[in-house]
Amino acid sequence: MTTNPLTQEVSSGRPPASRRRSSPHKRAIAVFVLPFGVLFSLFYAIPVGYAVWQSLLKVEREGTFGVAREVFGGFSQYEQVFSNAPFWNSVGRVLTFGAVQVPVMLGLALIFALLLDSPLVKGKKFFRLAFFVPYAVPGVVAAIMWGFLYSPNLSPFKAVTENVAFLSADLVLWAIANVVTWVYVGYNMLIIYSSLLAIPTEIYEAARLDGAGQLRIAWSVKIPLVMPAILLTTVFSIIGTLQLLAEPQVFRSFSSAVTSSYTPNLTIYSTSSIPNFSLAAAFSVVLAVATFILSFTFLKVTQRKGNK
Amino acid sequence: MKTKNRAISVALLTVIALAGCSSTEPTSTDASGPANPATSKECQPATGNVELTFTTWVPGMDTVVALWNEQNPDIQVTVQTGPNGNGGTYQNFFNQLKAGNAPDLGQIEYDALPNFRVQDGLVNLGVCADVLAAQDEFVGWTWNQVSFGEEGNVYGIPQDAGPMAMFYRKDLFEQNNIPVPTTWAEYQDAAVKIKELGGYITNFSQSDINQFAGFVWQAGGSWFQNDGTSWSVGLTSPESIKVADYWQGLIDDGLVSANPPWTDEWNNAYNTGSDWTWISAVWGANSISAGAPATAGNWAVAPMPQWNAGDNAAGNWGGSSTAVFKGTENVYEAAKFALWLNTSDEALTALNKAANLYPATVAGANLPALKEGVEFYGGQAIYDVFAQASTQVNPDFTWGPTMTQVYADASDGFKAAVSGGGTLADALTATQDSTITTLKSQAIPVKE
Amino acid sequence: MSATDTPVRTQGSADAERRLGVKENPVSRVGAMIVMGVFTVYFLMPIWWLLVSATKDRAQFTSTAPLWFADFSLWTNISNLLNYGDGIFVKWMVNSALYTVGGAFFGTILAAMCGYALGKYPFRGRETIFNVVLGGVLVPATALALPLFLLFSTVSLTNTFWSVFLPSLVSPFGVYLARIYAAASVPDELLEAARLDGSGEVRTFFTVSVRLMLPALVTVFLFQFVAIWNNFFLPLIMLRDESTFPVTLGLYTWTTQVNQIPELSGLVLVGALLSIIPLIVIFLLLQRFWRNGLGAGSVK
Repeated sequence: MTTNPLTQEVSSGRPPASRRRSSPHKRAIAVFVLPFGVLFSLFYAIPVGYAVWQSLLKVEREGTFGVAREVFGGFSQYEQVFSNAPFWNSVGRVLTFGAVQVPVMLGLALIFALLLDSPLVKGKKFFRLAFFVPYAVPGVVAAIMWGFLYSPNLSPFKAVTENVAFLSADLVLWAIANVVTWVYVGYNMLIIYSSLLAIPTEIYEAARLDGAGQLRIAWSVKIPLVMPAILLTTVFSIIGTLQLLAEPQVFRSFSSAVTSSYTPNLTIYSTSSIPNFSLAAAFSVVLAVATFILSFTFLKVTQRKGNK
Repeated sequence: MKTKNRAISVALLTVIALAGCSSTEPTSTDASGPANPATSKECQPATGNVELTFTTWVPGMDTVVALWNEQNPDIQVTVQTGPNGNGGTYQNFFNQLKAGNAPDLGQIEYDALPNFRVQDGLVNLGVCADVLAAQDEFVGWTWNQVSFGEEGNVYGIPQDAGPMAMFYRKDLFEQNNIPVPTTWAEYQDAAVKIKELGGYITNFSQSDINQFAGFVWQAGGSWFQNDGTSWSVGLTSPESIKVADYWQGLIDDGLVSANPPWTDEWNNAYNTGSDWTWISAVWGANSISAGAPATAGNWAVAPMPQWNAGDNAAGNWGGSSTAVFKGTENVYEAAKFALWLNTSDEALTALNKAANLYPATVAGANLPALKEGVEFYGGQAIYDVFAQASTQVNPDFTWGPTMTQVYADASDGFKAAVSGGGTLADALTATQDSTITTLKSQAIPVKE
Repeated sequence: MSATDTPVRTQGSADAERRLGVKENPVSRVGAMIVMGVFTVYFLMPIWWLLVSATKDRAQFTSTAPLWFADFSLWTNISNLLNYGDGIFVKWMVNSALYTVGGAFFGTILAAMCGYALGKYPFRGRETIFNVVLGGVLVPATALALPLFLLFSTVSLTNTFWSVFLPSLVSPFGVYLARIYAAASVPDELLEAARLDGSGEVRTFFTVSVRLMLPALVTVFLFQFVAIWNNFFLPLIMLRDESTFPVTLGLYTWTTQVNQIPELSGLVLVGALLSIIPLIVIFLLLQRFWRNGLGAGSVK
């Protein structure tokens, strides 16, 4: 049994008591795990299983308005997925997006978390709230808001938006990246921040007394200690990037550059509204596998680095 | 051990999954073959009281239905409201049909009816004698939309229509001595003059594909045809390409603005007098008055420009029907309610008042509210223009069974065209191909 | 290196710094405040726009400066909002509260229990469970919508409170977070001590461990709260009756009806502003746990 890389930092220091053996607390473990496990099976596992099954079906009918029969179609839906160029283009698009946006967003989140945890900043309560509020704005409203702010004629920053076409094909991806960053920096900041709060102060009191500056402490003490939280937010950001839906969907209404297959998840959404349930399910399975490969590779790479 | 654990969990998941789907298999699979020939047995009144559910997104529908419930204690209708069709309600209908728990009645726009019929979701109301008898009460082309032109078949009761005309800035045309265009050629001439004055004749709405379909409709084209054995797709028909080339010309010459429709930016272009006309449906009257309040009193309505001087053709944009879903046990009562909702004076008046719906019946055009002058349009009795247009709509325009996909793909292409990537005709060609692919992947017979 | 090896600290690091009496470089201080200030403008400016827009009437919305007030009609707008459709907006806010408070509370407890077991007990299949839960997150919600709907249809629970409430209880993300924090902040020695005292595992969890994990649980709760409050995809699929809608779905429905009732576009802005307020209140209420929570669980 290998430990999960997501938790390796904390599990590496576990005392010998945690060595592999049958646990003596079977009943307690069952009590802890089962309630979540049952609900998870019902609302995630079974639907996922159903989606996989659905992706193996295809439709048969006779006549222009013939009644559809769903029959087993093997991998016929997957053949369509793999020959669908716009889908794979959109995968490439979100990968480009993620390669830039995720590091920027998490970098900012980390900096803010460290600043909030340092003695350099006053008014912590206010900043925590201010940075968190965008996450509380419902997506529907964010659409109206950013449509206005990016608008060439109505924007309060008309001088900029008149000359820079944020909603054009060249820039709209980064306009969306800005919105995603705006929404999620505070969210990720809070995860890292609450992880910083869990670090015992004694660990860096010594360093402080030795005269190490805040930057030094942050770099060599705090960041390594909150690494599991950073890895966690990275993995979830990678997943979130590949599953981008709400923001591009919102942008569709006011940018001519966002198509119905702009992101993989938008393709799934458009396909299921045809409705072509089986093809949509096949798209989802492929996207899930791609997401898995990507997050797993990321964890493996960081784990190897960590072990060197 | 790791692999063993994984194998077990995979096996477990599979078992759960199979159990899950066998128990959730829709119950409607035993529904047999295409719609059977009408037997009045399927449209019998129930014994005892009946309760019906009706899902719609028309605001204020509950107040209209309350009138019915008051008069019909034995047939009580519950209204359920949600977002508009493409905003989620259609998707919900499809899910509900698959699960076998669709409501008795639902709001469905004309362009979505073929899709629901192909998904085997609709009761053929041709089994009800009352419904067939009501045919003459409706404007001919609206009946064709719900009967698919098939004698004796009815898949919904027409509710409202969207005959098209031209909204224009009367004041600006007069001040600048530009004649109000009656043909598309004159429209282009006017566009050139307006451009010289720093305005745009109109906005080309990249994502309002059904507005464009209305233009094609007026030109005598049809995007789909169904000969009973297979579909043919006509997005690249001569009429369709003619319309595309015309608008491409206006776009290339910079004569039209290209704001995304229904945004504040778009409203603003009308409110500030930058855009001068809008060729739209009857329900558009309220969109202008709400979006461009600063221009009150300056607008008027004229018939759509024609392809040949002296023609009298109009397009249609929008309109919906009340359909009865498979799975209902009360076809008779549902049909009775749907007929009342869409033909009775009191219901049509109430629908018009609550949601500005324009009736699909012949008599509906004479509702008192639709005879009055409208202040925002300088007192003009604008609905007379639309009533006339409604009689000029080509009855042979047919929608296809995958309109969601057609709209999405065409709009992708149109968006590219307004930003200089390809032409509208290219977009139609690409959509023609993708539509054929989509039909095939649904095993719907289609001619290439 | 593990945080479990050292006693849990009793105060935030800033307080510790003060205690140590080490002075910071004023240049760093000013620099830090400038960074925070600039980004505060970035984060709050769109919210400011929303606030200002909510005070304008429809005609002034596009015709006046977007970031400053025109005629102040906020109260008229709010009263229009509250009166529209027999006060349906108030109903939506109440519904949202019902879905959210219970969902976030029980969801957090379930996630905490599961994450705690995964973090503190070595047992066979632990990593498998963890990986399966991770796997669940990989599949986009769009793909789960139809299966979930069919599932609830088989037990005739669609269009009920439960069809939205029950799935909201599952937070795989909460499990991860709880696992990490349980491993980091609940010392094994403490559990051993509790066992020697004769306390059962489950009792120890609820009396001792939960307190130690409190800051993490508050974080999980907050995220669950916001996620459920703002989730409109699940209610959109499950609910048909407007009177059971949560506020986000209600506002969304309005935005799709703007073609028919144009004045709704103004109500959506005001409604959006009001719908954020409960989230801000919850945030302010929970803030204090981040400061005090760890102290409460000190083992010293």
